[in-house]
Order: sequence, then C-alpha cells, then structure tokens
Amino acid sequence: MDFEVLDIAGDAGIRAYGKSCGEAFVNAGIGMYSLITDMDKIREKQDLTVEAEGDSLESLLVNFLNELVCQFDTNGFIGKRIRMDAFIPSRSSFLRARVYGEEFDPERHERKLLIKAATYHDIKVEEVNGTWEAAVVFDI
Amino acid sequence: MAIATLKRIDENRLEVPGDYKPGMRTRGIIYVDKVLEGALEPGAIEQVADVASLPGIVGASLAMPDIHTGYGFPIGGVAAFDIKEGVISPGGVGYDINCGVRLLRSNLRRDFLFPKMKELTGLLYNEIPSGVGSKGRIRLGPADAGKVLLKGARWAVEKGYGELSDLERIESGGYLEGADPSLISKKAYDRGEAQQGTLGSGNHFLEVQYVDQIYDEAAAGALGLFEEQVTVMIHTGSRGFGHQVCTDFLEVMGKAARKYGIELPDRELACAPFHSPEAQDYFAAMKAAANYAWANRQCLMHWTREVFMSMLGLSPKDLGMSLVYDVAHNVAKIEEHQVNGQKRELIVHRKGSTRAFPPGHPELPAVYRDLGQPVLIPGDMGRASFVLVGTEKAMLETFGSTCHGAGRMLSRHQAIRQAKGRAIWREMEDRGIIVRSAGRETLAEEMPEAYKDISNVVDVVHRAGISRKVARLRPMGVIKG
Repeated sequence: MDFEVLDIAGDAGIRAYGKSCGEAFVNAGIGMYSLITDMDKIREKQDLTVEAEGDSLESLLVNFLNELVCQFDTNGFIGKRIRMDAFIPSRSSFLRARVYGEEFDPERHERKLLIKAATYHDIKVEEVNGTWEAAVVFDI
Repeated sequence: MAIATLKRIDENRLEVPGDYKPGMRTRGIIYVDKVLEGALEPGAIEQVADVASLPGIVGASLAMPDIHTGYGFPIGGVAAFDIKEGVISPGGVGYDINCGVRLLRSNLRRDFLFPKMKELTGLLYNEIPSGVGSKGRIRLGPADAGKVLLKGARWAVEKGYGELSDLERIESGGYLEGADPSLISKKAYDRGEAQQGTLGSGNHFLEVQYVDQIYDEAAAGALGLFEEQVTVMIHTGSRGFGHQVCTDFLEVMGKAARKYGIELPDRELACAPFHSPEAQDYFAAMKAAANYAWANRQCLMHWTREVFMSMLGLSPKDLGMSLVYDVAHNVAKIEEHQVNGQKRELIVHRKGSTRAFPPGHPELPAVYRDLGQPVLIPGDMGRASFVLVGTEKAMLETFGSTCHGAGRMLSRHQAIRQAKGRAIWREMEDRGIIVRSAGRETLAEEMPEAYKDISNVVDVVHRAGISRKVARLRPMGVIKG
C-alpha cells in the first residue's frame, strides 16, 4: 500500500510512502483523491499541470494538496494518476506535477468526503529507514 | 494523564491552570460537567493552553462543552484579544468562515405535515444542491461576486431571494461592513463561482423539524414558536470560497508571525498583530467570506420556502414561513466588553461557538432587544436541536458566547464500521425521520451515535447561565450532503 488513511475524530488524514520525497507526495495526492471518491471509477481523459511552492517540505505538501483541492472545487477535476515532473526540495521548495484524470460527475462517480483544505495539523514529512513518509490531515 | 492537573472550578467549569504549558499568558476555562469531562480529548486541552499563549489575549482562553480538537484553536473555542496589543488569527475562525445556522418558523403543525414528509424531503433534496462536487444554480459573474462579498444576505434579498424584513433577523444584519473584494485571490473567486446557494457536505444539513418541548413560554412566544409547530433549520457556511480565503491567509499570516516575532506552538495558530497590514487584510477578506455565507443561507432559505409553497399549494401568508434568526458560529468580530470594570475594545474569535448577547444589548435588533439574542444549537440528525437565548452572565464570563453543537464522539471510520450491515435510513424512518443524502457513506458517518448527546451539551451552558433554554426541536426530515 502506498498510503494509508488516518482515522481522526471529526476529520480524516493520509500517511503516504515513497522511495523519494516526491513519490510520497504523489501518493499523498492519490490518497487524498481516494477520500473524495472511489478511484476505480475515475478514468484518465484529461490532464493538467499544477505547481506549488513552499518554505519547507511541509508547506510544499500542504500547498500542493490545496492546489489539487482547488482544481477539484473549481473545475471538478479529479485525478487518477500523478506524475512529478519537477521536485526541488530546498528552503524555497518547488514542484510541478502533471495530473491525469477527468471531470467529476456526481451521477457516475461516488461521492465520499468533501475536503475543505489540507492542514498543518500533525503534519510530517520525513525519511524513515530509507522510506519517505508524508502525513497530512484534512479539514472535512 | 494531563487531565488530572486540571482544576474543577464548579459543577460546570474546569480550569486549565496558567502553568499547564510553558508560554501561557493566562489560564484556560473549559465549560464541562463531570459527564462531558469524560469525553475531553487531551489534544483539545493542549489547544486551549496554546491559544492562551498568543499575544494580547484578554481574560481566559475559553472552550464550550462541545469542545473537540481542531486545527490550532480547539473547536468550541472562544478567545478575545486586545485590539491594540493583541492578534487576529485565521485559525481562530476556521476554514469554514461564518459557518452558521438559521431557523425558520411556519404556521404548520406537525400532524399536518407528517404524512407528507417523504415527498417533501425528496423535493427539498432535488431543489437544494448538496454533496461533493455539486454546483448551485447561481453563477457568480465578477460584478455579482463583488456585490455578494460587500452586501451578504442583502445582495440575496435584492436579487429576490427573500424579504427585506429577513435582514434584521440575521446576526449583524446579514453582512459585515468593511469587506474588501480586492483582497480575494482568483482561486477563491473561482471556487466560489458555482457554490453560492449550495449546502455542501459533512455535517452541513437542511432539516425539517417540529417544536416538541418549550422551556420558556414567554421567550418562545417572542420568537414566534409554539408546540407541535413545524420549523426548518439550515446549517452551512461560505463553502469553497471561505475555505480558500482561510488557506490563502494562513500562508500570509504564517509569514507575518515570523516577521513580527510571534512564536507559534503550532503553525495553524498563525496570526499577526491586529493593526498590522497583514491582519487588516485578513480581517477584510474574512468579512467578505462571512458575507458570502450569509448570502448562501439566505438563498437556501428562499428555495426551501418555495418548495413548501408549491408542494402544499399554500400562499406565503398561509405558510407563514419566516426567519427566526441566523447565527454565525465561526467568525471574529470587534466588540466592546467590560473587563475588570473597564470598557475594552476586543477582537473576539468564536470558532465553533455562538454569540449569546443579553437582553438590551445595542447590537441586537429591535425585535429581540428585550428578549436577548436567539441562540441556535443543532444536534445530530436523530435526536434534537435547541433554541436558547443569550444572557448577562455570558457577557460577564464568556464575552457573550455559548456552545454551537453536539461535537463528534466517533471518528468517521468508527462510525462507518459501527453502521456496517445496518440501513441507517431505515432506522431513522422507524424513528419517524426521513433522511436523504448525496454521499453513500454520509448517513453512516452522521448517524446519531457518532455525536455526543446535544442535551448534555445544552444543559451545561444552561446550568452555567451563559444562555437559557427556550425550546427543543425534533427532526422530521433531513437532507445531508
């Protein structure tokens, strides 16, 4: 499993894993989408590019996921696969990712959780014994 | 566990001593009795203590009996800061800016409506956009968006959604002055474009209810409530628009906190001195989101009224559906309060807390000046909701504030697990409550057992005297997102 759902009173979170930090971020994004809907029903029909910046790995993760939340809320775009095209972890970190998915259709796609935002609550981005972990809690 | 170090002040209050955590500038006070003390989360107590460490806090860091762990600030928290030396924090308002509740009265009686509830709930479900990925029937172009942000519920009334007389029965008259649409990001505008007039999801709902018990006949009469009467409660906020404003300004305020040398125990407590440009920008943007929310609840009320009229074939006069009141329970406001005998201007943060101003308060509308401010407390979809009124004691003890709801007891996952193999909708129907929801798992997540018993929560604020019970409402039909 590339991510697990964190069970938190009132809300929900994701802990994602990866061989690299960028891969853990990709899995956090997919994990978040899986809270919104049943991913098996999402097809790769469109794609879009998202960019995010941050002053730390934690803020890069929050800003990246909030970019995906914003795309979902604005254009109904929901991803099935994410490709990290640029990942620059530093004090002023940056990433660019390509997201493949389609427009959410409430008639066809399952409606699970409405995510308001990714938060800094108990956030963690760290390398543990060679594996990167990214944990984030969402306001539902 | 840390709870042992809390001190019981009286039957309804626990103190978080000022030395509970390093850096605290004042003590914390949590309004819980022995029963609810058992449900206190250690994380929530930590958050009460963290808020007590913020610059310029006045009085205690307060929490209401529906307290639970939030982001930075606890949900159910009240914190007041000096306007000159204190801060404002987006975390003290929350992501859903001006999440709130409105209550509608009617001339209908429960026994008349009861046999029609399946049809009515179905129609309301079709007419009121709700759930993940739903869009409203309003598209806010740039011109209208600006007006919504400046005028709130007044915009909706001018568009034909409701009556001018509704406005005086909304907290702050349905809009906060000083909103600045130019401070809103394009992302927030984009998220808000199709979400005006939508219910959302999670714990947001629209509920048809009836008055099943009255505790104070005179107050109920002043509110236009009587036993067996049909009411409607709407719980929603500023939708994606407000969430984006909060997200945007957490970033701005995080940088500002560093710039002004404010040490934060948690990044979600990001804040800035109230008179700094960053803080003033947030305050003006927060007001815009609050106004978006008031317009939202106004639109939803209007469509609800239309569904009732068309289905029952009643005139507006015969239906008699009008606004009792509308409260904001996630907001920050400048208010005047007496502190140690001195009049002070404070920026009061209520995050999951309802204003509860007493009779005679100048901010109350003429219709409720003698009564005190109506307080609307939603419970879970199976048990009850309550109407209370504000009191003088709330002014003295809690900056004129009280609780806002039941508070969750089970996580979503626990709730889904407990609901496995059960048909929640049928269980509710057996209790005489028709439910409809957009999400497949919503009903399991929102089942009554997932929440604390609202009666316990309301009893604490009633006994503590920070608001007074007027009436209990029971659900008949519920729409969830």
